[in-house]
Amino acid sequence: MSIIEVEGLTKYYGRTRGIEDVSFRVEEGEIFGFIGPNGAGKTTTIRLLLALIYPTRGSARIFGRDVFRHGPEIRQEIGYLPGEVFYYGRMKVIDLLKYAASFYNRDCTRRMFELAEYMELDLNRRIDELSYGNRKKVGIVQGLMHSPRVVFLDEPTIGLDPLMQRRFFDLIREENARGMTVFFSSHILSEVQRLCHRVAIIREGHIVEIADMETLIRNNYKKVRVVARDIDPSYFDIPGVTHLERINHAVHFFYRGDINAVLRRLSALNVTDVTIEEPTLEEIFMHYYERSGS
Amino acid sequence: MNIFWHEFKSGLRSLLIWSAVMGLFIWISVLKMAGYVNNPEMMEVLKSIPRAAAAAFGLGAFDLTTLEGFFGVMFVYFALMGAIAAAMWGSGVLSREESGKTADFLLALPVSRSRVLTAKTLAALANCILFTMVTGLTSAIAVQSYHPDAAFYRLLALEMGAMLLIELIFLALGLLLASLLRPAWRAASVAIGWILASYFAFAASNMSEDLEFLKYLTPFKYFDAAVFMREGRLDGVYVLVSLLIALACIAGAYVAYPRRDIYV
Repeated sequence: MSIIEVEGLTKYYGRTRGIEDVSFRVEEGEIFGFIGPNGAGKTTTIRLLLALIYPTRGSARIFGRDVFRHGPEIRQEIGYLPGEVFYYGRMKVIDLLKYAASFYNRDCTRRMFELAEYMELDLNRRIDELSYGNRKKVGIVQGLMHSPRVVFLDEPTIGLDPLMQRRFFDLIREENARGMTVFFSSHILSEVQRLCHRVAIIREGHIVEIADMETLIRNNYKKVRVVARDIDPSYFDIPGVTHLERINHAVHFFYRGDINAVLRRLSALNVTDVTIEEPTLEEIFMHYYERSGS
Repeated sequence: MNIFWHEFKSGLRSLLIWSAVMGLFIWISVLKMAGYVNNPEMMEVLKSIPRAAAAAFGLGAFDLTTLEGFFGVMFVYFALMGAIAAAMWGSGVLSREESGKTADFLLALPVSRSRVLTAKTLAALANCILFTMVTGLTSAIAVQSYHPDAAFYRLLALEMGAMLLIELIFLALGLLLASLLRPAWRAASVAIGWILASYFAFAASNMSEDLEFLKYLTPFKYFDAAVFMREGRLDGVYVLVSLLIALACIAGAYVAYPRRDIYV
């Protein structure tokens, strides 16, 4: 049984599309990346899984239980770090965290202090005196202090300075090593690439690809650059080639398929230079983005 | 209980402000009362006011030269303030999570929406009860120099009972509106608009017999001080009607709020 199972989940806001027919599974113990541009439906998906909003169609289960019917019990084991963190401004950080802790059926005090110290969070400040980044730290402590089995991170690094981002990633890796499943939503590809085992790409409310991070980067696509005299880009216009373009004396393209097909073409040319490399996730992502856009 | 105390503390400032306003109103009224109560000349002045005008100001049925008569006139202001405060507490206790964008925090915690609603309803109800007690106690203390008799205390008790019932109606209406309307903060203005419309319907039904049918539409007419002062008790039917309206609104909130899509 997968720890998160989403089937045909669809949400319309009136007539506006939120997400359409989203299905995926997340296995226990993995770090699952959920990536897409702003407005693609990442936050909608997370808020559905937390039963903050209700679906137009489809189902979602966490720990094998319907999230819309067993929300309170499921959320005992869930942590949530929203993209933008809002708390009651007049409360002190410590009181806010104690209030949040009072909802869980276990003692979170020790972990709360540990996390606050690790993230260098001052517990005695009032929420409305905190900077954006410090509010985010409160969110991190609040989202992890009850040692949840699953945590939803929605654009977690926005507002954190680079040092804190690194600490945060270390923390997530540590918790993951202890068994915590991580659902990591982001539009920043490099951080997903660094952290995630598997990734789903969402665009305009639809999942366009779900793949292992390694498969996605290594096996699927090659980025090819060929420099040769009097080269015509159409020479490489074979099945599997996309984004064919000429920049000065070089021809650039992406290729998906048996690499020998490209090598055979190359061997007939008198090339000056050639590189074949793995594209970054960013480039793969742009590929999905543009293909579905046309 | 954690949500109840959190909500109660969040609402305390509002309760204190309303109590201060009510206290000030009672204090000023009792100062003004010195010119009316036990003053035969004032009796003559009051008699010369045209009937319709007197009715419009809610003076019609009362003898302002007695302590009871004066507090009979004051009741409609108690009721009006109670109604507005209750509507604001009822709607605000729900809508402020969304307008303050804290709804995601609270509702992502392991707690059901109906438990949240119960705690918030009880916190707003506690405010209504305390506000009524403050009104009653301040009134009783303010008139001590007039040596009020048992009849006065009985009237005051009836007024506070009626005030609490009116508060209940508008508290429940505020909760229902905040569960239904989007954005939720509009609930307060809609509820207050409703209160003012009810009040003017009440005033109009007093002025002209042709407009008497309006009395069924306005909770202020359910508990008319002129009537319960004469009868010595609140009309049981209207007590029941008020409780039913409040219960229906709260039941509606229990249906709507757990199904509500929360947007922040």
